[in-house]
Amino acid sequence: MAMVVDVDAKGELGFPYWTPVRRRFSPDSPFFSCGNIERELLAKQVALDLTEDDKHQLQNLVDQDGREVFCPIVGCGAHLTCLENFEDHYNTRHTASCSVCSRVYPTARLLSIHVSEAHDSFFEAKVARGYAMYECLVEGCALKFKNYKSRQQHLVDKHKFPSAFEFFKKAHPSKKARQKHQRRLAIRKREETSTKMEVEGETIDGLISAVSRLSTSDSPPSVSFGRRHTRGLMFVPRTVQRENSSHSGTKR
Amino acid sequence: MAEDGLASHKRDPIKSSVGSVAAQKRRQNAVAVGKERRESLVRAKRLCRVGISGDSDIPLDSDMMIDEEQSILEAQTLSAVEELKSAIAFQGKGAMQKKVGALRELRRLLSRSEFPPVEAALKAGAVPLLVQCLSFGSPDEQLLEAAWCLTNIAAGKPEETKALLPALPLLIAHLGEKSSLPVAEQCAWALGNVAGEGEDLRNVLLAQGALLPIARMMLPNKGSTVRTAAWALSNLIKGPDSKAATELIRVDGVLDAICRHLRKADEELATEVAWVVVYLSALSNFATNMLVKSDVLQLLIQRLATSNSLQLLIPLLRSLGNLIAGDSHTISAILIPGREITDNIIEVLVKCLKSEHRVLKKEAAWVLSNIAAGSVEHKQFVYSSEAVPLLLRLLSTAPFDIRKEVAYVLGNLCVAPAEGNGKPDLILEHLVPLVGRGCLPAFIDLVRSVDTEAARLGLQFIELVLRGMPNGEGPKLVEQEDGIEAMERFQFHENEDLRNMANGLVDRYFGEDYGLDELAD
Repeated sequence: MAMVVDVDAKGELGFPYWTPVRRRFSPDSPFFSCGNIERELLAKQVALDLTEDDKHQLQNLVDQDGREVFCPIVGCGAHLTCLENFEDHYNTRHTASCSVCSRVYPTARLLSIHVSEAHDSFFEAKVARGYAMYECLVEGCALKFKNYKSRQQHLVDKHKFPSAFEFFKKAHPSKKARQKHQRRLAIRKREETSTKMEVEGETIDGLISAVSRLSTSDSPPSVSFGRRHTRGLMFVPRTVQRENSSHSGTKR
Repeated sequence: MAEDGLASHKRDPIKSSVGSVAAQKRRQNAVAVGKERRESLVRAKRLCRVGISGDSDIPLDSDMMIDEEQSILEAQTLSAVEELKSAIAFQGKGAMQKKVGALRELRRLLSRSEFPPVEAALKAGAVPLLVQCLSFGSPDEQLLEAAWCLTNIAAGKPEETKALLPALPLLIAHLGEKSSLPVAEQCAWALGNVAGEGEDLRNVLLAQGALLPIARMMLPNKGSTVRTAAWALSNLIKGPDSKAATELIRVDGVLDAICRHLRKADEELATEVAWVVVYLSALSNFATNMLVKSDVLQLLIQRLATSNSLQLLIPLLRSLGNLIAGDSHTISAILIPGREITDNIIEVLVKCLKSEHRVLKKEAAWVLSNIAAGSVEHKQFVYSSEAVPLLLRLLSTAPFDIRKEVAYVLGNLCVAPAEGNGKPDLILEHLVPLVGRGCLPAFIDLVRSVDTEAARLGLQFIELVLRGMPNGEGPKLVEQEDGIEAMERFQFHENEDLRNMANGLVDRYFGEDYGLDELAD
């Protein structure tokens, strides 16, 4: 049974729960425009001998006029001609996924930033030595910070990001990925405890645990000293992967 | 070319002019004509082409002078107006015939072409002349022709309609009982066009007292005058101010006439009257109240059941929707489950859902969503009706705007009426089977939409599923349908509310502990 903690509901999430209400529209509401147009076309159809085709063309043309939308992903603003085009646009432009941990980012740039910050030990090393490595996420800002928190603060203060925003959110990998990950954690724990007693293995173990502390908590360890064959990489190339359908497994 | 095609199915080939410059000009003109045509078709104004009495002195030939070069038409108009001017000035014998003849010529020019030469007529100074022709005591024929000219001048662009301002008081005056019926009708038509232009002109007409006389013209049982009056009224009261609507329902005999026409009139008249009801019910609470207490609901439903004319079905359905949306009395006291009227309304709504017409499907779903927003008994009633299978089908196949309305219905069925400020209770007897019948993917699809309202709706429904599905199944189901991915899109979304909603759900239901139980073997 999933552990859902039962908390007092009202306002706990600030979530606006579904509340059934009657909806009323004024006569000039866009909700009614389809029928209004139909009314006029039908009335004039007889006098002007419009074909069904003409009518449909006209209906569509007039419907389209109100339907222009802009892409709502921050920083995109692409102009889309109708509701249906959004999905195509989103899949083409906003589904850059990380080849290591499968997180998806809406732009190539953000993906690249993520990869450096989460999977690049070189990046980690420079941070440890005090370089300002955390870039501001807003394109064109170009400021860099020494740690995640201060970059976060900058986003909130300067660029009005919500304080709850987390660039590096906990990922939600698929069940398969979760199981794999949990097993790996379990194996690592066993390995650590079993070799703790060996004096010989101590240095090696120390190295292993030190390196594994470098990588982020839920990405798989990418170094092994001969104990296990992995195909993980220390330096992840800054490639960008785009895919059309939703990802459900870890990319290898 | 599309624009050419729209108008040219009866067009003879245009005599070729010199070179390609002319061809290009024609093409440009066709594009302009196409746009103008589109706008003119969607305007709430109507051109008068055939005489009111029906017997046009000139047979209405289908070839509507489209071939004429616009410039020729304009020249003819100019001279017609000049002719009228001199006819008015003429004092001698046969003056009346001269005036009527000149008016008739102008009227023909303004009635038969695709785009009447209104601008030319205005520039030549037609309106003051026409106003003179409307003076009291003028013979009927003269009044008729003058009002007809004004009708078509007013059917065009905004500036052209506004040009009628000087004529309004006289047009209104000729609506009275002393006028002959055709004259009154033609004046009402002209005023209907003026009212159709916009709020400002509507207010002028109302201030000048146009409402009452036109309302009275709607009271007789039949005749083209009744229909024209109803149409003009619908333009006059369409707001956005509710005063005119409230005033109209108070006029003695109007409510009775509305009921009579909805019950017995032919489809054309019933259509115009139904539109009057649309505006009455959308704008004025007072009018809505009075309509609900009369037989109108019953009559709307009956007419919806028996008619197959889209023109009529649209305003009938919408009136019904407005009456339900506008007054809680409708659902709480009249459309009570168990009554015959309630069975009947579901039947006609199902009929509309099954229709091929987009408007009917969309607005029928809207009406159902409002019924489903009623008491638990209402929800049970809708849930067990034949509407639900149809709705589920529409949810996966229909265009976006219909799907959104269907979503409202289904969601409303799953949530009990809110009591106080707490979280509304779920109706699991509806939620569980509906999810079982596969409605969740459609809601997740809405979450992905760029439409804010739809995305919000989708997230709210997902919350119901996450919270309410028994045995903790909710999160698994949502995950299976890629719901997590859909919600994670909002991390970089501009809309803060949606971001917070989505993030909140993901944090609460798909946190670190999620899925740990599965490894317990």
